[in-house]
Amino acid sequence: MPARLPYAYKYLRAKKKFPHVWCPGCGIGIVMGSIIRAIDSLGWELDDILMVSGIGCTSRMPVYVDFNTLHTTHGRALAFGTGAKMANPNLKVLAVMGDGDSMAIGGNHIIHAARRNMDITAIIVNNNNYGMTGGQFSPTTPQGARTSTTPYGMIEPDFDICKLTEAAGANYVARGDVYHVVELDGLFKKALSGSGFRVVEAMAPCPTNFGRANRQGDAVNMMELLRDETITIAQSAKLPREKTEGKTVRGIFVDKNEIGYLERYQALCDRVSPEVKK
Amino acid sequence: MSEKPIKGQTKEEHCDTEEEKKPAVHIFPEWCKGCGICVAFCPKQVLEMGRDQKAHVVYPERCIECALCARRCPEFAVYVSGDDIKEGKKKNGGEK
Repeated sequence: MPARLPYAYKYLRAKKKFPHVWCPGCGIGIVMGSIIRAIDSLGWELDDILMVSGIGCTSRMPVYVDFNTLHTTHGRALAFGTGAKMANPNLKVLAVMGDGDSMAIGGNHIIHAARRNMDITAIIVNNNNYGMTGGQFSPTTPQGARTSTTPYGMIEPDFDICKLTEAAGANYVARGDVYHVVELDGLFKKALSGSGFRVVEAMAPCPTNFGRANRQGDAVNMMELLRDETITIAQSAKLPREKTEGKTVRGIFVDKNEIGYLERYQALCDRVSPEVKK
Repeated sequence: MSEKPIKGQTKEEHCDTEEEKKPAVHIFPEWCKGCGICVAFCPKQVLEMGRDQKAHVVYPERCIECALCARRCPEFAVYVSGDDIKEGKKKNGGEK
């Protein structure tokens, strides 16, 4: 073992599981580090946190962190997370999902979790394809992009995760990327410390599948793309239209403080049967 | 990757030029997969890729401890002493 230990060592299952399975240059590791730094700055106890995930590259994340973890079926991270939160409302539930996991297979779960305003933080790592199974297109693959199942370009329009969850009623919706990692830390910190349903979309490169299919180069080139092709909300308002066109806007889109599902559930319990009151 | 000669093996020479400055950046070769992100985005070009396709600390005297390498490392293979978590707290007591 190295003489000096990494800062995140406390939070990682470092002796058993590292190095991790993600490809060289995959952005999911950066997102995981960012989540860990956010939790560290909030000073939470490891045992109070539940990280729940479905299936996919991103959903390998609970394997590597030393919280309470739950690795569930494809797309059902939010369903299992809802159950865990209802059973033990003191848990701080983080659902980590990929773009396919959250938008395609678990698409129904995310809109209804957002509608209920369930007290869960949903972290969606968007790498624009299904990386684990060989780079098939996902609902967030941009139109025109090549993947292994759209070799002549994607003809379907893509989902905007932030707009979808905003419309469905989430309390907090934000988008960041792994190049602007300090900003991403802040987004996670704000999301985790809030209440209700909170969504953070983290854009991450997939150099092995998406990058190779679209001739975007290696991990460094894809990080440069994230740097050049994203703008903040303030920039998108200020810059002329030709400079903002085709670029992805990052930042906090929604930050409400509406009553979450748990509070409403508790109010119902209090109203219907006073003896159940805790 | 850079075109310069491989500097991975000559780390000690560069350390000697400064009066025994301890390197602030540490890279754990066991975990490094050689993606090159830390090397490419270091604002002071402290790191370089070695012949073994892993990052090496070549110019530790240039390091300003911004810890962007540690934050952007997907493999958790970079650690900056003095700690990169913003509040400056020292974390991680000992092995686990």
